[in-house]
Amino acid sequence: MRKDESPKMALLQVDRLTKHFGGLTAAHDVSFHVDSREIVSLIGPNGAGKTTIFNLISGVYRPNSGDIRLGGESIAGLRPYDICRKGVGRTFQIMQPFPKMTVLENVVTSALFGRTPKVSMKTAEGEAAELCRLVGLGDKLKAYPKSLTVPDQKRTEIARALAVRPKLLLLDEVMSGLTPTETDEAIRLVLKLREAGSTILLIEHVMKVVMGISDRVIVLHHGEKISEGPPSRVVDDPKVIEAYLGKLVNEEGGTAC
Amino acid sequence: MGSSIRWKTTLPLGILSAFLLLFPKIVGSYFLHLAVSAILAMILASSWDILARTGQVSVGQAGLFGIGAYASALLYRKFSMPPVLGMLAGALIATAVSIFLGYLTLRLRGIYFSITTIAFAEALTVIWLMTPDITGGAMGVSTPPLFGGDREKAYYLILAALAAAVAVVRLIEKSRLNFAFTAIRENEEVANVLGINSTKYKVLAFMISAFFTGFAGGFYSHYNTYIIPYEVFNLGISIACLVIPIFGGLYTIAGPIIGTVLIKTIEEYLRVTFSYGHQIAYGLILVLVVLFMPEGLLGLWRGKILPLFRPHGTR
Amino acid sequence: MDWPSLFQSIANGILIAGLYASVTLGLTLVLGVMGIVNFAHGELVMLGAYNTFWLFTMLGIDPLVSIAITAPLLFLVGIFVYRFTIRPILKDPPLNQLLLTLGLSIFLQNLAMILWKTDSRSVVTSWSGMSLHLGMVHVGATRLITFAISVVLTAALIVFLHKMRLGKAMRAVSENNTGSWLVGIDVQKTYMLAFGVACALAGISGSLVSTIMYTYPMVGFKLSLKAFCILILGGLGNISGALLGSLILGLTESFVGTYVPEGSGWAEGISFFLIIVVLIIKPTGLAGTRRE
Repeated sequence: MRKDESPKMALLQVDRLTKHFGGLTAAHDVSFHVDSREIVSLIGPNGAGKTTIFNLISGVYRPNSGDIRLGGESIAGLRPYDICRKGVGRTFQIMQPFPKMTVLENVVTSALFGRTPKVSMKTAEGEAAELCRLVGLGDKLKAYPKSLTVPDQKRTEIARALAVRPKLLLLDEVMSGLTPTETDEAIRLVLKLREAGSTILLIEHVMKVVMGISDRVIVLHHGEKISEGPPSRVVDDPKVIEAYLGKLVNEEGGTAC
Repeated sequence: MGSSIRWKTTLPLGILSAFLLLFPKIVGSYFLHLAVSAILAMILASSWDILARTGQVSVGQAGLFGIGAYASALLYRKFSMPPVLGMLAGALIATAVSIFLGYLTLRLRGIYFSITTIAFAEALTVIWLMTPDITGGAMGVSTPPLFGGDREKAYYLILAALAAAVAVVRLIEKSRLNFAFTAIRENEEVANVLGINSTKYKVLAFMISAFFTGFAGGFYSHYNTYIIPYEVFNLGISIACLVIPIFGGLYTIAGPIIGTVLIKTIEEYLRVTFSYGHQIAYGLILVLVVLFMPEGLLGLWRGKILPLFRPHGTR
Repeated sequence: MDWPSLFQSIANGILIAGLYASVTLGLTLVLGVMGIVNFAHGELVMLGAYNTFWLFTMLGIDPLVSIAITAPLLFLVGIFVYRFTIRPILKDPPLNQLLLTLGLSIFLQNLAMILWKTDSRSVVTSWSGMSLHLGMVHVGATRLITFAISVVLTAALIVFLHKMRLGKAMRAVSENNTGSWLVGIDVQKTYMLAFGVACALAGISGSLVSTIMYTYPMVGFKLSLKAFCILILGGLGNISGALLGSLILGLTESFVGTYVPEGSGWAEGISFFLIIVVLIIKPTGLAGTRRE
């Protein structure tokens, strides 16, 4: 069904993606790509449309126009579960582990349903336990999310996303609310995942992370892409500065992003 | 998540099974009838619970019950279909209707879904009353007594149906369906993003639930020998379906069973005391459970009572 | 074209819409102010109807006059119900709220059966049988008076919500809980009073109902479903939506009753069919989200 990928073809190709909600344009003509094994950060002020892009890629929303290609194959408009099985895993900005399931059960769920071909329960449980250990939840398999710390809940979500064996991993603000030590651990984890073969698209506000691990940065503002490139270049881009600072000037005493 | 019957409970289960099988030999007609009625309720409660596991809170199970009842009775009257076959036919027809209803209500969330199911059962009542040539209308449909009035045989039949229902729930609990249902119930959007086709599983749950509810209806029509729309499409049936599992413990096998035993006892006492209005127990229990005991009896057991015996918990 | 029939149909539809609107007002108020769908609202209407019936039968009090007793009585019942069953679940998930009010509904239905049996009661006054001729149309006195009172009731509610302090507080609370609290509105008390007022409204509509329909324990349930239908048709928590929905339901029932063979039987089911059809087409109801 899929031809061999030429090394030039991006794993994720987003073309002129547009999404309206009534009168509000959440995303307008957004185009970018992510190459295999890249770590790309999607940044922008609040309301810029970053989570909308994630929702479009993962199938939660259908685009009004534009295309999304995964490994050359168009996935725009497909159902979320089909997109998941084609190799997209994601976490959620507001953490949403299944509350009445243990950590292990959360991960088993996606292992059971997010993979093609489907695996047996036994295999799923084994793999889920492995993944939990990988992200550092080895001793919390039987814990319930509400008894977990914030970083551990995020770990649960990451493990759950990983259980679908994604080619593309969408991480939505997994670094927010972490202490510096925890952030370092999280960075190490993301790098480990890339090494293991994942391609990662991050939504992030924590600049340390964005600057530290991104191969490229894409900046959104008011639903449009305003800049793209290596972190060092993007950060000096006057358009980007204005997008963030423009907010600062209009607010009283806000801190930098 | 879900109930797990540990092997330690196998012996008590064995004793219980023996008791259940010998039951008709021990008791008289009145209690046998009560038992049949209770078992019927257990099937309805368990079926409702299956559907509820996907987050679909139906307040209209009477619609499916009535369809099963009428299918069975009318197939007998018009085509002389043997009762037990008719019950299965009723189950299948109810299942077919549930596919239709399931797809129709897919996008309905929370109370909209519930209101629609109430409207469904009430709409059926109206349709039935207005089409007497096909359905018998307000005059109802009568059938000869099931198994010639042999209550023992009826008891064993319905007991077998209950065993089948319980077996199905157990199978669901042990399979990947359990994960799908729970995930959908807790967060349907996330479940979809993780690879679960929520439509498929929601409709599947509806079908399984409808099958047993329809069978129960079919059984009821022959056992009772006479059915009318007001009775089999009655809100009271839908209410019983939901109050019992909520009281006993949602998303478990034991919950609907234990809940039935307790509620039916209360209800029977009330029925003997007041000839109408004995369902007041359902209303009162529902209110009290939501206010004070949202986890139901089993939740109370696990949360408060069991820890007294096992202070270090096994959860 | 049988004009007299058409006009009669329209007239009947509008008149019954008035009654339905009065039933729906209280439900709309509670939904709008605290976001709860009170499944037991119909039973409060039923209680109002029974109250009127007994006052009429035992003491000979005219149903319209008895409103002066029914309204405060149901208001107090509402306060009581709120304090003990609604307040604890204000912050619960909607499912719990549904179950609680459903339980309340079942409880009250059966309580009525125990207290007053299942017989259908009617309130027949000296003026019940009268009817007026307005052009080609016959209008029953009870229906006309009921309609008039419903109009007055609706107008009074609108004035209350927009001009009186408590009413304005209710609107504020419905739109912005925290903001209202910050400006000093006692949110809890406002909720309680809103619920009380809603029950009083239910009681009054019950008095009206008793003059037009039979009073029996399940009458509330039937009316609840019509009220839900109206909410779904017209928009939730919104008075003008309730009026629009009432008109649509009333007229549809009336036309079906007139023009469809055996229509009066089918008309009973209109609210159910409308609920199902509308929700399938638009799963959040015709007007969507709540606004006040």
